[in-house]
Amino acid sequence: MPLIDMPDFADDLLSLFRELKTERVDTPVIQPAEPFLDMAGEDLRRRIFLTESETGVSLCLRPEFTIPVCLRHIESATGTPKRYAYLGQVFRQRRGGANEFYQAGIEDLGDKDVASADARAVADALACLQKVLPARAFAVTIGDQAVFEAVVAALGLPTGWQRRLVRAFGQTDVLEAMIARLARPEAMAGLPAEVEALLEAGDDAALVAHVSAEMERTGYLTNASRAPDEIVRRLKEKRVLAGASLDATKLDALKEFLSLNVSLRYAPGVLADFAKAANLPLEAAIAGFDARVAAFANAGASLADITWRAAFGRPLDYYTGLVFEITERGGHDVLIGGGRFDRMMTLLGAKDHIPAVGFSMWLDRIEKAKEAQR
Amino acid sequence: MTITIAVPSKGRIKEDAAAVFERAGLTMVSVGNDRSYRGRIEGLDGVEVAYLSASEIARELASGTVDFGVTGEDLVREGMADVDARVEFCARLGFGGADVVVAVPEIWLDVETMADLGDVAAEFRARHGRRLAIATKYWRLTQQHFSSQHGIQLYRIVESLGATEGAPAAGQADIIVDITSTGSTLKANHLKVLRDGIILKSEACLVRARKPEHEGDMNVAKIIEAVRGAV
Repeated sequence: MPLIDMPDFADDLLSLFRELKTERVDTPVIQPAEPFLDMAGEDLRRRIFLTESETGVSLCLRPEFTIPVCLRHIESATGTPKRYAYLGQVFRQRRGGANEFYQAGIEDLGDKDVASADARAVADALACLQKVLPARAFAVTIGDQAVFEAVVAALGLPTGWQRRLVRAFGQTDVLEAMIARLARPEAMAGLPAEVEALLEAGDDAALVAHVSAEMERTGYLTNASRAPDEIVRRLKEKRVLAGASLDATKLDALKEFLSLNVSLRYAPGVLADFAKAANLPLEAAIAGFDARVAAFANAGASLADITWRAAFGRPLDYYTGLVFEITERGGHDVLIGGGRFDRMMTLLGAKDHIPAVGFSMWLDRIEKAKEAQR
Repeated sequence: MTITIAVPSKGRIKEDAAAVFERAGLTMVSVGNDRSYRGRIEGLDGVEVAYLSASEIARELASGTVDFGVTGEDLVREGMADVDARVEFCARLGFGGADVVVAVPEIWLDVETMADLGDVAAEFRARHGRRLAIATKYWRLTQQHFSSQHGIQLYRIVESLGATEGAPAAGQADIIVDITSTGSTLKANHLKVLRDGIILKSEACLVRARKPEHEGDMNVAKIIEAVRGAV
């Protein structure tokens, strides 16, 4: 087993974090597990080190910094905007690599100028890498959920379908299955005749009463889980979703969009051409995208090093816009991952909407890359 | 090398396992009295039988402390990661059949498939202030089915060690992942299985812990061949 200790470039990073006008924060190594499982889902359970307190509270060793940093911000009731930096150990069960390793990163909370905050996150991330690995070339891949959302909305699908597709964004297999399904409408069968008749008559009140009576009869509480009106509302929505489909032209447009993969230098033109050829109204999304590209250029990032891949996203509901990854040019190891998570702060309990963007550095991989140079 | 076969220590599954082995010409006899937890195979030296509980058998297979085990596929698949690299399912024995399924309240008229459940799970937090809760003792199988196969990430598992089918009506969880053979318990609790909600069609299996020393071992080969011939 390799000896694990603070990487020798930690001090360089910390001094850069100060130059970048961030406030260094630390968080306890032992964290309540609940927020991590709640945000990232059950899949995380296998990958973290869990234990239980004497009083039965689930605790874990810090698997990452973003959630503790955000929680700390909410608890300390500090105002925004605020730029936090961290550097410390995280703990995860991994098949390959050590179970404890260092991560560092910056979380930028509350900057309402989305384009410039996005650009600064990528530029700061690159600056960090250039400091630790001077004279190396890097490749940045970016994705943008906001553009995908706009494309899906422009196709004219019911909102339920839009939400489904957006949820699958970044999961190729799931998305492909959905696209295949959208080629033709689906029959909806198997409902009890009584329900079918009430649905047909559009009598919502009677439907809710029926569901409510059935729950009572079968011993289900109407307030513990899904309520009768919620079931009826979705039953009606499901009918609409089952009947929905896309014609071949629109399906092809969606597939073509997902296959776009171009240098950021050409991305605004490619996106505009796509919208024009597919005849989709994407003006607002394109304006946001172009503003970010301009902001990248302002922040001094080299557009030639950045690739936009339209299908690149992360399937967690707190990601909202930009996602990015940085590797060495020609390399496979992701050295830095980042993105915009505008929904996380309110999910974690913040009262106000707080836009957030940040990145995290895999210091063990960066150390490996550094050694490879010698 | 002594080969150890772990078989269930009680109940119907013990008798069924003994019957299959008997048909295979591998008659199991207890050492000492009938209640003993050790046995051997008549006329076959170098093989011993350990009577254990079905879930312990899965654990012992995982750690490799037994060579063979007769137990439910569900317990083996739930009990270890990389299951197919670590054990071999040598024979399906034709008894102890049961499905691990995703079941939701019958009154969820709008939920028939995993895709429906995905929709419900996605908006659950916004409506109820918490994630969709699944009662189960099958953590691993549930995660594989929901997260890897159907891309549903946002739900929480509530551990349930018994009477899982009662959890939704009692308000402890919204849905369940549980084992069912006839479906009558689910029905009695007004639960329905989703159309694509069968996670595993399980039955009792002869399972071998993959060990290099089994290579070329006469008894190992003989046990596999004999049991395969009897089912």
